[in-house]
Amino acid sequence: MLRLGCKRFLGFSNQRNQTLPQTLLRLYHERVVDHYNNPRNVGSFDKNDPTVGTGLVGAPACGDVMKLQIKVDEETGKIVDACFKTFGCGSAIASSSVATEWVKGKQMEEVLTIKNTEIAKHLSLPPVKLHCSMLAEDAIKAAVKDYEAKRAKLGANGEAAPVEKVADA
Amino acid sequence: MASFFCSRVLARRRLVESKTSWCFHRSRYLAAPVHATKIIESNAIGCPTASSRFSFCSRPLNLDDAQGPAVVDYRSLLQEDEFHRLADATIHDLQEKFEEYGDCIQIDGFDIDYGNQVLTLKLGSLGTYVLNKQTPNRQIWLSSPVSGPSRFDWDRNSQAWVYRRTKVSLYQLLQSELEQLCGKPISLS
Repeated sequence: MLRLGCKRFLGFSNQRNQTLPQTLLRLYHERVVDHYNNPRNVGSFDKNDPTVGTGLVGAPACGDVMKLQIKVDEETGKIVDACFKTFGCGSAIASSSVATEWVKGKQMEEVLTIKNTEIAKHLSLPPVKLHCSMLAEDAIKAAVKDYEAKRAKLGANGEAAPVEKVADA
Repeated sequence: MASFFCSRVLARRRLVESKTSWCFHRSRYLAAPVHATKIIESNAIGCPTASSRFSFCSRPLNLDDAQGPAVVDYRSLLQEDEFHRLADATIHDLQEKFEEYGDCIQIDGFDIDYGNQVLTLKLGSLGTYVLNKQTPNRQIWLSSPVSGPSRFDWDRNSQAWVYRRTKVSLYQLLQSELEQLCGKPISLS
C-alpha cells in the first residue's frame, strides 16, 4: 500500500521502474499515507452552534488551509467531537487529521499543550514539512479561542440563561 | 518641515498604515531621510546604532500572536518587491556565511544547497535547516532541527527578521543554535 501510495504521489504508473534513483525517492512516512488514504474525522459542524469552536488557519496563497472544529461539552469543558477540512499537501492533511484525533476526549486547557513537535514526530515529518504541523497546532488553538470568544459573547448577552439551566439540573 | 519628511518617507514606503502617528522628537531627523532609505536599500541588516536614532512611534500591530495565529493583512505591511529584495539579500548573505562556516568546522555530511529559492543547510547527523521565502505572508520560514518551524517577519524598527511569538531574530536564533549544535560560534550580523 505504501508503494502504491508513493507511486500515486510520485506519478509513476509503470511497474518497470521499481528501483528509483536515490534523489527521487522521497517517501511519505506510512502514517502520513495512512491518514491521507483514511483520514479521520473529515467533516463540518454548524459553526453557529454555540458548542462548536472553529479554527481556520493558513491561506490558499501559501498552499495550506486548515479548518478544525471542536464540539465542546459546556458543562465539563471537554471536547467531545472534532472534525477537520484541509486544503494542502499530504503532510498538512495528516497533521490536521492527527490533531482531530488527539483533541477528542480532552479538556480544552489540555489540548492547548499539544505541540507541533509532537505531531511532527508522530508522523516523522521531514524538515520542510514541519510547518504543516505548526499549522495544525495553530488550528487547535484557534478553535479553542473561537469557542471561548463565543462563550464570552453569549455570556455577555444572555446572562439569565445559564442560571436557569443550573436551576433545572 | 516634519510633515515634509513624513510624506517623503511614506511615499517611499507606500504604507497603508500612513494614518499612524509618526513621532519626531528632534529636528535633526530632517537630515535623516537619505540615511533612512539607505538602511532600507542596503544590506545593512541589524545595525542597531543607526536604527535606534529613528524612534518612529508607529501604532504597534494589533496582534494577539503570543498564544496563536491572528488575521493580518500582510500586503499592507511590506510591498512585494521590497520583501523580495530584503529576503533575497538575507538568504544569500546567510548562504555565504554558512559556506564560510562549513570551511571552519568539520562535520560529516555538511552540505549547503540553494535551489528554487530554498536554502538547505545539512549538518549530517545533527539535522537539517531549511530556509525559504513565504511571499504571500511576506515572511521567511525556517525549519530547524532544534526549535522546529518558525516564521519571521521583517521588523522595520530593528531592521531584522523577527519571529513574533518569541521576539527572537532570525540571526540570533541561527547563531545560538549553530553554536549549540556544532560547538563553534558563528557571526551572522
